[in-house]
Amino acid sequence: MSQLMYDLRVAWAVAQKDLRIGLTERFSTVLSILLPLNFLILLSLFAISGGLSPTAVVMNDSGPLAQQFYQAMAGAHSFRLQQASAAQAQALIQAGKIVAVVTIPANFDAALQANKPVVVDVQINNLNTDFTNDIRRAVPLSITSFYAKAYPRLVNVTAAEHDLLAQDTDYIPYLTVSILVVALMMGGLLPAGTATAREWENGTIKELLLSPASRWAIGAGQMLGAGLLAGIAAVITLLVLILLVGVWPLHWGEMVLFTLLTIIIFVAWGTLLGTLLKKRQAFMPLAFGTSLPLFFISGAFGPLSFLHIPFMEGLAEAFPVYYAIVLQQHAFHGFDLNTLGLALNALVLVVYAAVVLALAGLVLQRSTMSH
Amino acid sequence: MKPSLLRSLWALYRKDLAVWWGNRATIAASILPVVGFILIQSIGVAAVGRNPVALVTLDQGPAGQQMRQILYGSDVFRLTDATPDQAQALLHDLKVAAVITIPADFTQRVQAHDPAPVSVTVNNLNLDFTNDIRRAVPDAITQYYAAQGAASPIKVTLRETDLRARDVQFFEYTVLPMLVLLVMLNGLVTSAMATAREWESRTIKEVLLAPLPPELIILGKVLASFTVTFSLGLVVLGLGAALDWTRPVAGEWLPTVLIIALVSLAGTGLGVAVGAALQRIQAAIPIGLFLAIYAFFLAGGIGVLAFEPGWLQAIAVYDPLSYGVHALQMAVFYASNDQFALDVTVLSLTSLATLVLGGLAVRRQIAG
Repeated sequence: MSQLMYDLRVAWAVAQKDLRIGLTERFSTVLSILLPLNFLILLSLFAISGGLSPTAVVMNDSGPLAQQFYQAMAGAHSFRLQQASAAQAQALIQAGKIVAVVTIPANFDAALQANKPVVVDVQINNLNTDFTNDIRRAVPLSITSFYAKAYPRLVNVTAAEHDLLAQDTDYIPYLTVSILVVALMMGGLLPAGTATAREWENGTIKELLLSPASRWAIGAGQMLGAGLLAGIAAVITLLVLILLVGVWPLHWGEMVLFTLLTIIIFVAWGTLLGTLLKKRQAFMPLAFGTSLPLFFISGAFGPLSFLHIPFMEGLAEAFPVYYAIVLQQHAFHGFDLNTLGLALNALVLVVYAAVVLALAGLVLQRSTMSH
Repeated sequence: MKPSLLRSLWALYRKDLAVWWGNRATIAASILPVVGFILIQSIGVAAVGRNPVALVTLDQGPAGQQMRQILYGSDVFRLTDATPDQAQALLHDLKVAAVITIPADFTQRVQAHDPAPVSVTVNNLNLDFTNDIRRAVPDAITQYYAAQGAASPIKVTLRETDLRARDVQFFEYTVLPMLVLLVMLNGLVTSAMATAREWESRTIKEVLLAPLPPELIILGKVLASFTVTFSLGLVVLGLGAALDWTRPVAGEWLPTVLIIALVSLAGTGLGVAVGAALQRIQAAIPIGLFLAIYAFFLAGGIGVLAFEPGWLQAIAVYDPLSYGVHALQMAVFYASNDQFALDVTVLSLTSLATLVLGGLAVRRQIAG
């Protein structure tokens, strides 16, 4: 019992020491605390443009059918519409401000009432196929939607939508939860890795290892110090996500639990990498360099199974970021992004945490012997 | 310049190149995010926009079968035929994003001119996927009517004209902004680290004790980082051209290379300023990374800047990377000189400003 208390005191002392050193390097400490928040802001910029194509409509006919056609375009989930004269529309498309100009001819109503063909001109700024194909698909479907409403007896085939979930979730609230996980990852990795590597770089690890304290207590102290910094960073990031972005967790308890679990894993990872690399200069680029690819492969944008690319799924499942995203999406939105279930996903993270913690301790032990 | 000064410059240049080559982790850090992104994009782009969908065809009549064929030929889904139970299982197991059901009385209803809805059950977990499905099903219905030719009740047709001679694939379109990010990021991080290292390892004292003007020291540092960054940019451009992703048409190679050089120079100058101001590698790396990535996203990232929100476009006016991306896209994809003079002027002035800033930062720290 007394040995345990002694180890706990050692761990707390090491954690305090790391926090004090952090205070002497204020710029770096503030930077690592604000790092997750920066990740949240940066990666959110991915999603701000949305999926709507800015389009000008030249209404050469203002009859009721032409107006109905305009409304059908507005409801096509594809356009950000603005009405313009022919000259204004040309100026906008030439200046690259819009993707397309749709011109409704002057005889639109008259031709339809006489059941005669009518041609709608579509000029496309074919910058890339993403936008171009959206327009190529959206204008015809606007025509069909228009007919289904204006002439329901003629165009009677329609889509009757049933949603699996009670309400739609916008892309930003969805994506920011995935980004949160990568932010937590960096928030845990960076303070742990730099603090551990600093001990080796400055040679102070010798003094620690020569002390009668157990290696496990030293390792636990290093992780505790980094974990406290990561915790502060996580609280700031979560406050911004919840209060400013407005993404409220559906299950608060899950959110707190999975946040803690993610921090533990990446603090342990940071300690492990810092001990292995022994240089901040080597550790930091590695941590930063892997964050962006990990974000993209880990199902940040939607269920990985929708991609039907087994290689990508297998790769993602090898990293804890994937499971953490699945769990946080459940905590915030109640989504199930894979078929493992909440308990099994959480168990994978717990096992991951245990293995990485053990590895970090083991590497510290071995480093001791070889030092 | 005197030959002795040239020799000194050469020595400084070689020293920084050798130190850069010795730090493989840094090289990996400045390349890995971008290369990783490009690779993942190249794999994932095939699946983007074509969601997996289960198709339940309960109608064996001609209209039902025709609708089924249209759905298969529409190229807007990745379809799997299924029974109602199988479809529900696929939806539950997240193997499909939606289930489309052609009802048993579809043909009968179509022929009777009664409403004939095609049922679509969507897993609406985010609007990105959901809106794709919402667009794609009516799209297939449109194709169903278009297939009826002159017999189609739809009398409105389209006449498409394209502003540009060729379509650019979405993946190709994303490569150029990523190239600009790579060059900016590498320039910033490489030169920031090279400069900060001199203070951190205290070798700045030795360099300063050498009988050389400070400008020469700064020039050597800038040249070394510029060489690395510019070469990397050329290698990626060459790879893009070899893979037929980003191949400038004849006559546009020179403007393309010039833009890469100017972005490299801007990144390098800014990196020297950051490194000298911070004097610590631990701070210089994240600041350099964040500066480059913020500049990239505020320039519109991989999207089209003109279609981004107004506030972002207003910021992008002051972001030199937006001019770099624009100039490269015009040169590589559209063989156009649209606003080339403006792009080059902004990038040249930025390079000059960052070099002066870098020089001033080093001189100030030396004096301090």
